[in-house]
Amino acid sequence: MPRSAALCLESALGAALRFALIALIAFGAFAALLMAAGMDPLKAYLDTILYVFGNGYGFSELLVRMIPLLLTAVAAALPSRMGLINVGGEGQLYMGAWLATAGALALSDQPAFILLPVLTVLGFVGGGLWALIAGVLRALRLVNETISTLLLNYIAPMIVSFFIFGPWRDPQSSSYPQSPAFADAARLPNFLHTRINAGLIYGLVCLVLYWLLMTRTRWGLEMRAIGGNPEAARQLGQPVFRYILVVMFAAGGVAGLAGMVEVSAVQGRLVSELSPGYGFVGFLVAWLAGTSASGIVLMAFLFAFISSVGDILQITQGLPFAVINVLMAAILFIVLGRRPAGSLAR
Amino acid sequence: MKRLMALLTACAALAGLFAIGQARADDKPLTVGAIYVGSVNDYGYNRAMKDGLEEMKKNLPGLKLIEAENVPETAESERIMEGMIQQGAKLIFATSFGHQQFAFNLAKTHPDVVFEHAGGWMQAANFGNFFGATQSAWYPMGVAAGKMTKSNTLGFVVGVPIGYAIGNINAFEMGARSVNPSAVTRVVVTGGWSDKAKEAVAANALIDQGADVVTMHVDSPATIIQIAESRGVYSIGFQSTEARTLAPKGWLTGLGFTWGQFMTATAKSVIAGSFKPAMVRLGLGQGMMAVAPFGPAVPDDVRALVTASADKIGAGFNPFTGPITDNNGVVRIKEGESWGGDKMGNFDWYVEGVVGKAK
Amino acid sequence: MNTALIVGVVASSILSATSLLYATLGELVGERAGIVNLGLEGILLIGAATGFAVSALTGDPYIGLIAAAVAGAAVNLIFAYLVVERRANQLAAGLCLMFFGLGLSALIGRPFIGALIGGLPRLPLPGLAANGAGARLLSYDILVYLATPTAGLIWWLLFRTRWGLVLRAVGENPASAYAAGYRPASLQYQALALAGFMGGIAGAHISIALTRTWAEGMTGGRGFIAIALVIFARWNPLLAIAGALLFGGAEALQLQLQAAGADVSPFLMNMVPYLLTLLVLVVWGWNRQSVAPAALGRTFFGVE
Repeated sequence: MPRSAALCLESALGAALRFALIALIAFGAFAALLMAAGMDPLKAYLDTILYVFGNGYGFSELLVRMIPLLLTAVAAALPSRMGLINVGGEGQLYMGAWLATAGALALSDQPAFILLPVLTVLGFVGGGLWALIAGVLRALRLVNETISTLLLNYIAPMIVSFFIFGPWRDPQSSSYPQSPAFADAARLPNFLHTRINAGLIYGLVCLVLYWLLMTRTRWGLEMRAIGGNPEAARQLGQPVFRYILVVMFAAGGVAGLAGMVEVSAVQGRLVSELSPGYGFVGFLVAWLAGTSASGIVLMAFLFAFISSVGDILQITQGLPFAVINVLMAAILFIVLGRRPAGSLAR
Repeated sequence: MKRLMALLTACAALAGLFAIGQARADDKPLTVGAIYVGSVNDYGYNRAMKDGLEEMKKNLPGLKLIEAENVPETAESERIMEGMIQQGAKLIFATSFGHQQFAFNLAKTHPDVVFEHAGGWMQAANFGNFFGATQSAWYPMGVAAGKMTKSNTLGFVVGVPIGYAIGNINAFEMGARSVNPSAVTRVVVTGGWSDKAKEAVAANALIDQGADVVTMHVDSPATIIQIAESRGVYSIGFQSTEARTLAPKGWLTGLGFTWGQFMTATAKSVIAGSFKPAMVRLGLGQGMMAVAPFGPAVPDDVRALVTASADKIGAGFNPFTGPITDNNGVVRIKEGESWGGDKMGNFDWYVEGVVGKAK
Repeated sequence: MNTALIVGVVASSILSATSLLYATLGELVGERAGIVNLGLEGILLIGAATGFAVSALTGDPYIGLIAAAVAGAAVNLIFAYLVVERRANQLAAGLCLMFFGLGLSALIGRPFIGALIGGLPRLPLPGLAANGAGARLLSYDILVYLATPTAGLIWWLLFRTRWGLVLRAVGENPASAYAAGYRPASLQYQALALAGFMGGIAGAHISIALTRTWAEGMTGGRGFIAIALVIFARWNPLLAIAGALLFGGAEALQLQLQAAGADVSPFLMNMVPYLLTLLVLVVWGWNRQSVAPAALGRTFFGVE
């Protein structure tokens, strides 16, 4: 195979192996905690592995879980190359879902080949505009984007709730707050007989685009230069102000796509609970991956696996699903504690 | 070369795992799966579901029950239910409204598993629906409140203003008015079925506004009842009759769901292979709902009134019979008309005497 | 506008604001030392779960309160280890703490869900009648009474003691502080221990005073609000009181308005506190003068 691709593969494998060791330690520590709580973690791990790898459906489930994570991870990774911190994936996801729903309801009698691209664009724009608010505030040096994206995370679901209780209330099931169901033409299709939906394509495309942007464009290299020191870049005459806006918009847009996928493929309508924290976990995935594209795939895979462990723990041992947050924290802790200024890649 | 060997070993391992995974057979007596939206220790909705399932388990020895608590009403629930099916469940109770779509999705891909959903309307050959007919059952609660209140102000905390919940409030107020024409019900919406901090503020707010009987339609009555008890006002419970232990002085009565009978019957039909999907809505006197025991503060004559009212409902009295006016003066149910069970989800207006915004 | 409404709003605001104030004060101390803790939410949750669990176990809410404070301090020291000793990225370490708190609190709280506790008792001010507006407005648990004095204490600590002076110096320029003979690391540990202590108290107030219950994730984002409130308060403990009241008030107002019969949409009203906070931050930012500790968020690389 071509040399550069072989090198890529080699470094990716190296990173994967290094990380596998960290994961192993974290899983071990987590197991110790569970045993202290009187549970049987090894059985849970075994059950999960059997389910996920010993079963075609189980494996497909893993991929389904990865889809939103791929998108929200890119949404966090892209701005981080500029030194911007986007923890607003949650809110951007909701607003992408919101705008896509507006389109689905307004154009419900259009055929799929019109509707789906429109919804995709709307999802992107919805999330992008939401992130742009934080971007503008940051570019104008008014509010740090970490804080503003955090606050916006809380406002977005309330906007969604307002609409599904009010103007967009489903007349057919006015007993429950949700929008009317999307027409079939507005639904992203699934593959084969699994629940893997076309959102996987969106995720992979965004990843590839991200990778191309970072490694193959002048713009990407410029962003890396800025990432260290926006002030120096500004003085060098680079249009930092514009870049901040564009990058935040793009990042929010990718997260917005995750929202569009949720309402179009998974839910088939707008509901009040769209995301169990995809935004935050995506941020974690991106950070652990060192914002490299291949790293994101690996980390997303790992976290999807952890999510499965959580389900098994809940079903077979009665532990609250939230406990796996400890496992995620353990991984992060080990990575952070490895060496001073610990970060994974570079 | 070393890398190639590693790769081959990994493939072999995966193949082995695959084989083990496929060979996992499940041939036990009936395994039942249940998902709860919250914790079963909530003195409320989930507790009632759990009690019903435990009764079913007692009635059918050998039955295996797998449960998961705090299952959110999102795609996550589909994954959990799928996991239960993988563990061999042949009957799944999806106990919260928001689980409906996901249970239904699974019903399509697993025609050999039976699903019973609480509170919805979807049906398929292996998908049924069940719930209590709560609305009319609130009428006798209103009677109790109307008789016991001294300030003529009743307080109702509701989580999400869906049609069924509004119907509950309406029946409550009508029951109160039937024995106390000056009774007024004030309503506060918290915005979620289980937001304890907001429930605490809401309960306090209603009591501040003069309510001396407080009740609720949220997942767990615990926080509200405890606040009422700490402020010395009466409380009426909902979802589970166990909540009365929380208010030894102020408890008047309450409504609880009694699912055990239905769940046992369903499990039996699945074992026998005779399951037939249906939309089951049973109320007071029909086995799914019960009036909780009275608290010490309730005098005998009020008890008799409430019991008589409950019996009337059980015998078929429908409080939603016209003429009924809403709280803006518009006639909503005309003379001679009456709204049956199928319309209970359509409420977007409050009856006269309710202070609040329905939409 | 009836008096019941006004009294109700004021009382509820004070109650809601209390946990926010403690959390904000804690974060403020840490940030004055140069460390931003995004995982404050995790500390609050651990405080809430521990406080509730120990109260249920021992039957004494005060012991529960102390346990919660100690637990908060202990966990925050883990965070301190990461950012001070290992010089980890503060943002990532904060997220680590948040996840840890989410998971550990669920584990701690689970066996106690549904337990009944007496909760922190309301202590009426001596000499007041037992009913009427007076009692409602002036009978709170001890944490409420201590909230404002605590803010004053923190102010005094930061601006009137040597310890506070050095702490602020570390937050402005750790290199100079080091050169002057102080040990930034030690001070940062102390600040974070104190911050964790207050965070634990803040969480405990929600579970053993406000709601007397435990549910996963019950702190509802208050930790993040507190982080924003620190900026709102311009890193000044006395202004933090105003911020907490404002936010607590907005939260309580919409529910009280509903009870009084006003025509408000709960969802729009729910947004108000967050919009308000954002607005204030924008206005502060417009002011151009940055009053943040200069070395906030940066790791200090001392001489090795």
